[in-house]
Parts: sequence; C-alpha cells; structure tokens
Amino acid sequence: MATNSLFRGLLRAAVLVGAVAVSAPSLAQDDNDALIARGKGVAIAADCAACHTSSPDKPFAGGRGIGSPMGNIYASNITPSKDDGIGGYSEAQFARAVREGVNAKGDHLYPAMPYTAYAGITDADMHALYVYFMQGVAPVDNKVKETRLAFPYSMRWTMAGWNLMFLHKPAAIDATGTERGRYLVDVLGHCSSCHSPRNLLMAERQDAYLGGATIDGWFAPNITSDPVSGIGGWSEDELAAYLKNGHVHGKGQAGGGMAEAVEQSLRFLSDDDIKSMATYLKTVRPIRDPADTKASYAYEGGSALPPTTTLEPLRGDAATGPDVRGVHDTVDGAALYSGACASCHQPSGKGTENQYFPSLSHNRAVGLSRPDNLIMAVLHGLDRQGADMHVSMPAFEYDMTDAQVAAVVNYVEEHFGNPAVHATAEDVATIRAGGPKPLLLKLTPYLMVAGVVLAVLVLWLVVFLVRRRKRKSRR
Amino acid sequence: MNTQYDADVVVIGSGALGSNAAYELSRQGHSVIMLEAGSRIPRWKILENFRSSSRKSNFNDPYPNEPWAHTTFEPDYIENTGSFEFRPGMLKLVGGTTWHWAAACWRYLPNDMKLKTLYGVGRDWPIGYEELEPYYQRAEEALGVAGNGEEDQSGQGGKAWPPRSKPYPLPPDATTYMNQELNKRLGPAGYHYIHEPNGRVTKPYDGRPACCGNNNCMPVCPIGAMYSGDMHATHAERAGTKLLTESTAYKLEKGAGGKIVAVHYRKPDGTDARLTAKYFIVAAHGLETAKLLLMSDVANSSDQVGRNLMDHTGIGLLMIGDQPLWPGRGAVQQGGIFNWRDGDFRKRHSAVKHSMSNAVPNRVVTERLLKKGVIGPELDERIRHDASRWIDVGTVFEMLPNPANRVTPSDKKDALGIPMLRVNYDVDDYAKAGKVIAKEDYARFAKLFNAEIVEDESGWQNRDHIMGTVIMGSDAKDSVVNGECRTFDHDNLFLATTGVIPASGVINPTLTGVALSIRIADTIHKEI
Repeated sequence: MATNSLFRGLLRAAVLVGAVAVSAPSLAQDDNDALIARGKGVAIAADCAACHTSSPDKPFAGGRGIGSPMGNIYASNITPSKDDGIGGYSEAQFARAVREGVNAKGDHLYPAMPYTAYAGITDADMHALYVYFMQGVAPVDNKVKETRLAFPYSMRWTMAGWNLMFLHKPAAIDATGTERGRYLVDVLGHCSSCHSPRNLLMAERQDAYLGGATIDGWFAPNITSDPVSGIGGWSEDELAAYLKNGHVHGKGQAGGGMAEAVEQSLRFLSDDDIKSMATYLKTVRPIRDPADTKASYAYEGGSALPPTTTLEPLRGDAATGPDVRGVHDTVDGAALYSGACASCHQPSGKGTENQYFPSLSHNRAVGLSRPDNLIMAVLHGLDRQGADMHVSMPAFEYDMTDAQVAAVVNYVEEHFGNPAVHATAEDVATIRAGGPKPLLLKLTPYLMVAGVVLAVLVLWLVVFLVRRRKRKSRR
Repeated sequence: MNTQYDADVVVIGSGALGSNAAYELSRQGHSVIMLEAGSRIPRWKILENFRSSSRKSNFNDPYPNEPWAHTTFEPDYIENTGSFEFRPGMLKLVGGTTWHWAAACWRYLPNDMKLKTLYGVGRDWPIGYEELEPYYQRAEEALGVAGNGEEDQSGQGGKAWPPRSKPYPLPPDATTYMNQELNKRLGPAGYHYIHEPNGRVTKPYDGRPACCGNNNCMPVCPIGAMYSGDMHATHAERAGTKLLTESTAYKLEKGAGGKIVAVHYRKPDGTDARLTAKYFIVAAHGLETAKLLLMSDVANSSDQVGRNLMDHTGIGLLMIGDQPLWPGRGAVQQGGIFNWRDGDFRKRHSAVKHSMSNAVPNRVVTERLLKKGVIGPELDERIRHDASRWIDVGTVFEMLPNPANRVTPSDKKDALGIPMLRVNYDVDDYAKAGKVIAKEDYARFAKLFNAEIVEDESGWQNRDHIMGTVIMGSDAKDSVVNGECRTFDHDNLFLATTGVIPASGVINPTLTGVALSIRIADTIHKEI
C-alpha cells in the first residue's frame, strides 16, 4: 500500500516536471504566434492582399495587373517561395522594399506599390510583418508576368530621381498611442494614394492632401474635414460605420477600390482602430472645391417623377400591331431607369424600407459634383462584403450604350441627386475606357519628339535642384 | 495539307447549354464562333416588355417573336398532328429559353440512368451517374445552384441522395411560411417534401445579386439573380468567343471521311454565309436541333433523329385550403413531393413528381371570381381570402421513349424560307398509369387541407422539358449520339441539348444538359 502511494507520488512529480519542461518552449512558441498574428494584422491594415492576391486560394502569390495610366504593373509574388517569391529576403531587404521601393536585386519598384506611405511603418510593425510573411504565409511557386511599361517609363532607374523628389523620410509617429488614427490612415491604410490628387509626375500633391482624386474611372472623394466638399458633416460614428460596413444610410456607400478596401482590410480592423481613423479624419485640414455648394449627401433631386403611364405605357399586342420588343435603342432616361434600376432602387428612388437596396437620394455617389462614380456603378456594378452584409449590384456595361448610361445617370441626378450634374455620352466613353488620362501621359508623345536626352537632362536638372535645396535646408 | 478553318469550334445556339460549352472552350484557349438565330436583348428591355403588357400570363409575350426567329408562340410555328397539343415555351434570343425557366436544378438519380436494367422499361443511359457527377458539380458552380445537400432527393426519407463530391455552391433559401405550413400536414401523412435545388443565388455570386423574392422567375427575373444563359454567353464573349447574332443555321455540310466541314447560316436580310471548323456543337434546343439534322440529312443512319420525343407531360390540381398560406413570398417554386420518384413500381407505372407553386396567384384568383360574377367589396374580400389560401399543385410524369412521338420539319416556312416544326405526340400508357396514382394523391391532398377543389381535371399539360429527340445510347443502330454526346455518324459533331436524354425521370433536365455540355467541351479540348 505504502509502496504504491510512493510510486503514485513519484509519478505525479514526474508528470509535473514534464509539464514544466514542455511549457518553456511553448511560451516562446506563443510569443512567435503572437508576432505572426500581429504581422497578419499589419498586412490586413496595409491591405497587401488588395494587389498581391489575385486568386483567393493562393494568398499573396501576385500576378494581378494593376492598371496604371502607363500600362499594367504586375504585383509581385510576396509569399516565401524561394524561386518566385521573397523567400530569400533578409529582414533588411524586406524593409527596404516596403519602405523605399527597392527590391533585393536593387531594382526600383513603381510607386503603384505605396512605399511612400509605408515608409512610415514602425520597426516593430515591420518586424512582425516580416515574420508573418516568412512564417505565416504559405510559399507558392508562381512566376509573375514581368511588368513592361512603354518607353520611357520602362526605365526603372528613373524612379531613383522620382524618389529623391517625392519619397520623404517620415517623422517619428506614436503608432500605438495618440497618433494611431493618423498612422492607420497615412501609413498602413495609405488612404492618400487614392484620395490625394497627383501632380504632373504622378506624385501625391501634399497641398491637396485627401482632397479627392480620380483613379481607374472612379472619383475617390474628398475626405478632408470640410463640411461641404469633405466629410465634415459626417459624425465619427457614421465614418466608423462606413469604414467597417461600407455603407451608411443617408450618406453613401463604397464602390470600386473602396469596396475592396472595406472587404479585404477595414472590416477586419478592431472597433478601436476604426474609431481612431474616424477621429483623425475629422481633424484633417479642410479643402473646399469651389464647384461644391452643398454636401453631396444633401441632394435629393428636384423634378417630380413622371406619371406611371409614362414610365410604363401599355404596349399593344405584337400579334396585331408592330413588334417593338426587340428595339432597345431608347435614350429616354425614364424608360431606362424603370427597366434597369427601379426593381431594386424603386420608382421613387428611395430604395427598399430596410435600405438593403439603398436610396439614391442623400447618397454621395449620386450627389457629388461629378457623375464619375454613378457612371462607374452603372457600368461595372459593385460587389462588397462589409462587416454587416454582402451586397451586389449588377453591371450594365453590356446592356447599355454610352448614350443610354448618360441618359439614365441624368435621370437619376435630376430626380434623386444633384440636378446640376449632367453626363454626356463622351463622358461615359472616357470613363468606360478607364477615366481621363493624366497630363504626363498626354504629354508623353511630345516628350518623345523632343528627345529622351532632353527628358533625362530635365530629370537630372530637377534632381540637382532638389539636392541643392535639401543641402540648403540642412544648413 | 494545312487546312484553314474559320474557328476551332462552331457552336450553334447561345442558350445555357451552348454558352457553357463555348465558354469552357474559349477559356481553354480555343477559337470559338457561336451562332444565335435571335438578337441580344438587355434584361431591362425584357422587363419593360413585361411591365408594359396586359398579357402577363403569356410567358413568351415579353420576348421578340421575329419573322426570321420565331418563338413557339407563333401560332403556325408548331403544327401538331398527334392527340396532344405540344407547345413548349421556346425562345430565340441570346441566352435562349432559360430566360424564363424556374431554375430547378435537380440531378438524376443513379437509378434513373438504369431504367431498363432495373425495371425492364424504356432505355438505360450508356453512361453511369459516377461519370456525370463531376460535371454536375461544375454545372452547379456555373449556374450558382443553391441547394440542401442533406436531403434524400429520391424522396424515400433516407440518407442524402444522390451522392455528391462537394457541397452545393450556395446555401438553400429559407423555407417559406407556406412550405412550413404545408409540411406540417404533408409530413405526418408520409409525404416527403424535398427542397428544390435551384439556380437562384442566395448570396451575391458571379456578378449576380442575391434573390430578393420578386416572385417573377417566369417570365423574367428583374434583377438577374436567377440564372439565364445570357450570363454564360457574356462570359464566353469575354473569354474570346465570337458571337454572331441574327444568324440562323440551316445546313450542316458533310465532307470526306464522315466529317462535318461547314455550317451554313442565313441573316434576316436573306444573305447566306458559310463557316468551317474542326468541331461543331449543335445546341439549338431539343426540337430545333433535330430539325437542323433532318434538314441537313446528317447523323441519321439510325433513323432516330427527331423520334422518341419526351416531355414530362403533366396534370394540375387547384384548390383553396382551410388556412392562409400566403403563396408568393420568395421564388416561384421551392420544392416538391418525391415519394413516387423511384421504386419497383416503375416496372408498372411512371415515376410521379408533385410540386406546389409559390407564384403569386392573384391574377388567376381574380379572373375566376370575375367569371363567377363576384364584384364590388365582396370581390376585394374574396381575392384576399382565396389568394392567401390558394394551393396550386403541378404534377409531372416520367415518359418512355417512343419512336412514333417525333418532330420533323414542317411544310410551312418562316420568313427565311426555313421550315417550321411538325410534332406528333401522344401520351403513353405508362404515364397514364402514373396519372391514376397521382389522382389518388390529389384526393388525399384535398382531405389533408380540408380544401375546396377548384380544378382537378386539368387534362394533359406541357412542361417544356424536351428530351429524346437525338437520343443517346450505346448502339449506333438505335441511337443518334454516344455517351459523349458525339454523333455516331460524324466524329466531329456533338449535340448539346437535353434532346440526348434517353430516360426522362421526373426532374427538370437543364442542369443535366449543362453538365453534358461542359463534358463535351472537355472531350473536344482533349482531342483538338
């Protein structure tokens, strides 16, 4: 009996010792898991997947063509694949690529990669991000198509000059404390890469920070604190709900790139992080577009609706009269709205009672001083998974001509939105083709005629001047 | 000799079947030309046609019926010589007749494909369920099928059946109040009410919004939540298919070595053109495909082209139950009773399927009351009363292939000078024996719902499920195509149509047709 209980005691001790021995490395494992989880959080907030994931079953394997005005820029494979990815990168090389836009081979990246924003990523976040990509992401051997922009943009080395002018070393930021919101907006969220307009050389204009810009046919709205042109009239709660869900009744909903940002990044952020972003945005220096006279979400049309008999005239029997069922060339906005839009947004334009199908009045996409976003929504529809629900609107690009899109857009503006806005078939054609070309691209042929040598000289001169200015400012 | 072709593959017909085949081939890098007799009409225009018409019960009315591309509702288009007025709702436009189906997407059961072996009637399929299963899955993913994979769809209350390799791509729609209430009475009486898998997406899918219950699946889904063939016609075009509309194929040209070398087509202005290709897929509807083959004198060494025509010819029961059920919420149909789907009884009588319509019945109810002379406030009250309690049972029967049931080119011609259709169709004793069983069920249903019968002698009804006309089999002597849907007579001619189906079962055949079409594309891809 005594022997037996002694044996039991020994056994218990042995088990205890064993447990302690096991728990020491598992603590380290927990730390590493926490680091990977933090890195994953950074990758989500920085929305790396938006460009680097082209198919959901191969996260970060690259290959997606980012449409730039100069041609497609193919996102690289950033899985830890040794052959095709970044498996051979040291942490320093990784950090240099993310912050300075220079890969391990020493080649310059195009600023489609928002390294001017990521330059501000803290060392702690950068370390976590590196560990996440090395250990938390599965390596995928996927050779990505080489980016080949047209001459002269094919000369990557010219980006060195561009970086001298536009890549600024950021001031230190309290990323986990009082400046969390600005860190998320400016650095990880790189909001300005869409919402700030760009200058002649395609760099973000600091004087128009978050003042609104066109991108891929969409207009990324002014999100400064201005109450008319920006988001000054939105409450912090509304901004937070918009970022998380992608829509706010009475204000608007996200489409295009913003719908992607909500779906792939913002809906996963913590409520505290979202709130800090909203708080920060409300402090951004206001910018007013003189064309704007009232907030975009305040518009609700003006004209009375046509009577039902006009919207849905009784059609005769084709067996006894003319058969018009195959004729679909009308440019009557009322008829187009009735057939294409009213089933969901309702003849009244007010949407459904639960706003699953949103109202077109008090809706920024409709009330903006420019019709770009309404045209894009009609042409390409939208599909957005927010924190609260998944919504979609079908695309009408195959179902309507440019003139028909313009007609239905004008009907919507006149009756539900901003009656001063008028779209033409030419506007629609431009936006269908991906939006207006930047000045630089329009000037390119002339630059070519003037000679590449001259362009290089100019660039050299600019670089020289910038250097001198920097030297001066250092003194 | 290096022959130049206009395309690797010409597909004739841009409905759900042709478009899926064209898309799969284009996606794999083959050059494809797809011919369509009708035009491309945007959904908003079809919706406008529906809204602006007073002929809401005519599901063909919103669709063009051109002199050079008639639908079956052109009075002369189908000349019937049999005892039954055969008139399916066939459309001619990009996307085909799936513009106005109810999107039921059932799979056949393994036993459905072995009818002769198991029950000694009809024919077996030359392929088994297991060969078709991966293609069923792909077809369900293409069409965005929402279904319940946990049920015994053979209707015997057993384990999940038929077997599936993966879950349905989308979860089933919520069970409507009507169906919950119906089940409370049908279940205890031994009837297995099975959720209908359907091509109406329950979440945003492939650019389509989720079904929001417009209850207008026929004649047109206003928002494109329900699948229609134009969706894959568009996918095919984006993948590289060249779609030629208003181009009616009227002749397949034979060449050396039993090959088909070209298709001839005619434009509305009467001009003709000819296209050559390595392979041809005819996907021109169960009736029109057979007509084209007969006009061209191809693929008919068996003399079976156009024969063995089968529909799931049916009957109906209308009654007013004793409690409000509120039909009309959600999609137009949600399920059915499958007790008579499979069993030893198939030696003696056809399989039977009952389904309860969930279409808004107000129009039918009102017309009936007006005919009875009900007017004024009483009319309002009675519409509310009857419409909320309306029970509309649609029943279908399994048909057997009979060479005498057939479609042939008629003597009448359309504006292009192309023959219209002649159909000879009689309902056989096998289905008539099934009707006896169905009527016994009707009597039980009426009792279970303490119902007032509105109509229980409907006569035979069209169900628009065309099968058998270019029948599939293992023997070139009695069949038009083999298990690959390849014609026995021409090894580069495939038929993508529900007309190949040799044993009809009781389920809507479109999903099977799409599965077979994707399989055709795979077969051609491997050979080309």
